[in-house]
Amino acid sequence: MDNRLGKISGIPEWMKNNENHVPKMGRDAFINKSILSLLSVISKIKAQDTRKQSKYEANIVVKVLFTFILVVMISVSRSFSFIAAIIVYLLIKLSFMEAKQIIQILKISLLMTGFTFIILLPAAIWGNSYSLVMIPAKVFATITAVNILSKATKWSNITKALKSACVPDLFILVLDITIKYILLLGELALQLLYALKLRSVGVNRSKQTSLAGISATVFMKSKEMAEEMYDAMQCRGFTGDYSTAEKFKWAAVDILYAAMNCAIIAVFIYTAFNEKL
Amino acid sequence: MHIPDNYLSPTTCLVMGAAMVPVLAVASKKVKEELSQEKIPMLGISAAFSFIVMMFNIPLPGGTTGHAVGGTLLAVLMGPYAACISVTVALLIQALLFGDGGILAFPANCFNMAFVMPFIGFFVYKFIKEKTGTEKGAIIGIAIGSYVGINFAALFAAIQFGLQPLLFTNEAGLPLYCPYPLSVSIPAMMIPHLLVAGIAEAFFTVAVFTFIKRVSPGLIHEGEKKVKPVYALLAVLVCLSPLGILAAGTAWGEWGLEEIQDVISGGKALGYIPEGMSTGFNFNAPLPDYAFNGLPDTAGYILSAAAGVAILIILFKIIGSFIHDKAGGGIG
Repeated sequence: MDNRLGKISGIPEWMKNNENHVPKMGRDAFINKSILSLLSVISKIKAQDTRKQSKYEANIVVKVLFTFILVVMISVSRSFSFIAAIIVYLLIKLSFMEAKQIIQILKISLLMTGFTFIILLPAAIWGNSYSLVMIPAKVFATITAVNILSKATKWSNITKALKSACVPDLFILVLDITIKYILLLGELALQLLYALKLRSVGVNRSKQTSLAGISATVFMKSKEMAEEMYDAMQCRGFTGDYSTAEKFKWAAVDILYAAMNCAIIAVFIYTAFNEKL
Repeated sequence: MHIPDNYLSPTTCLVMGAAMVPVLAVASKKVKEELSQEKIPMLGISAAFSFIVMMFNIPLPGGTTGHAVGGTLLAVLMGPYAACISVTVALLIQALLFGDGGILAFPANCFNMAFVMPFIGFFVYKFIKEKTGTEKGAIIGIAIGSYVGINFAALFAAIQFGLQPLLFTNEAGLPLYCPYPLSVSIPAMMIPHLLVAGIAEAFFTVAVFTFIKRVSPGLIHEGEKKVKPVYALLAVLVCLSPLGILAAGTAWGEWGLEEIQDVISGGKALGYIPEGMSTGFNFNAPLPDYAFNGLPDTAGYILSAAAGVAILIILFKIIGSFIHDKAGGGIG
């Protein structure tokens, strides 16, 4: 033992040399991008969970219903005036929201609008100016409308609202489980990706295979989680039935919201009629 | 491959929805038989897994990345029926809550990614696996299956895009939705998928499959004993059926026939576009007056004013948030 210590105290020559190991840059953009997309999903789920529905907000069922109707009307309409009016309406709605949410919503809708515009540019060169203006405007309106709904409400409320659209309870349960487990599996995948990033310095040929390993691990873990969850549900007396019960009453806000949307429908019919003339 | 809203006409989406209903009904019945009561948490968690798989960026040649779809992977791991349902749920969550892919276009996206992709991929895999009967054959089957699966899904998306200008035009002959005909949409969708995305997807699928096979072979879905080629043919026919409905639904019979020719002859559609359509494309319509026509002048003024106010408030709020963030950062 003593002998060994003595040897260590005399530092060997090769250890005294400075070593500057500069690893070659490896390709890890795909890891970073995967991490970023997972992070954005997780942060979106967490952000919506902390949201509280204010007393003065319209009932979620009414909101979901009218958003669907709005999306259909935007898609069917051939009148640019109608689309413009809808965009104004959505901008007004947007202006009541928090700055952070406004930025998030506009980011998505402007990105998609720009993308659509670029895709349609060649068609415009061929002389199709209708699509170039109309379709990006419609894309902007639709995406803004859906994102206002998704950003302003708790997602469990949206799934609950689907019930009134005659979606079976079981399907709503599956949706709820999915949202929860996207978060859990997402966090697992994120940890594995961090580990892969930290452990692979420089060029590492097995990086890409590791990505497959991560997905495979997430899959195996998901199977395990499903079994655990089933056991837990059975322990608590789950018999296979799942029902969500909520009674819907019209409040003043709901009537106001519905009236606003009926006005939009009226404008839709009016512009559709006028276009034909 | 997520089609946003307003690229496809609502009619197309409706037809796709009508095609998806029986598919989902059969799938849920099959899953019920296979998974019994355990299915409920299993389905939700599988859907979460398929959502997470779509978040993975896989490296592509040339330094870029693309995201995996994993339709065939899920079909091989869990069986095509369970894959169909979980991808459908994942797509619904993406459309409804994440704003990725349209709400009206949801049935079309489901048709391409939750039905065509897993089923065609799975049938090709099963077919090759049975013909070869070896371990290597199974791997080759997965590679070819996932390649064929993603390309078929892309082809169907391209056909859905390409049919729009043929079926839905306004009085001036200008397309109302996606303006590109099959001769443009098919090469635009297929070339990147055939050359790049398909190969990346095949590599990814094989790598995940071999990993699971090595680590935990019991997890892989065994499925029914034998797949008869008849079923594969049936699956392809079912895939093609909505196109028939779409073609029949058009008021212009000859264009409907044309589409079927286009579908059969694949990429060779270029020469078949009728004269009227091609002139319709180059039609130099007088620029429609976009300034709020169809509404009375006063309504137009009010709308413009409201838009101005709303835009100003939004701008101030955004600027305000930046200033607030900076001030907060300085103190912190």
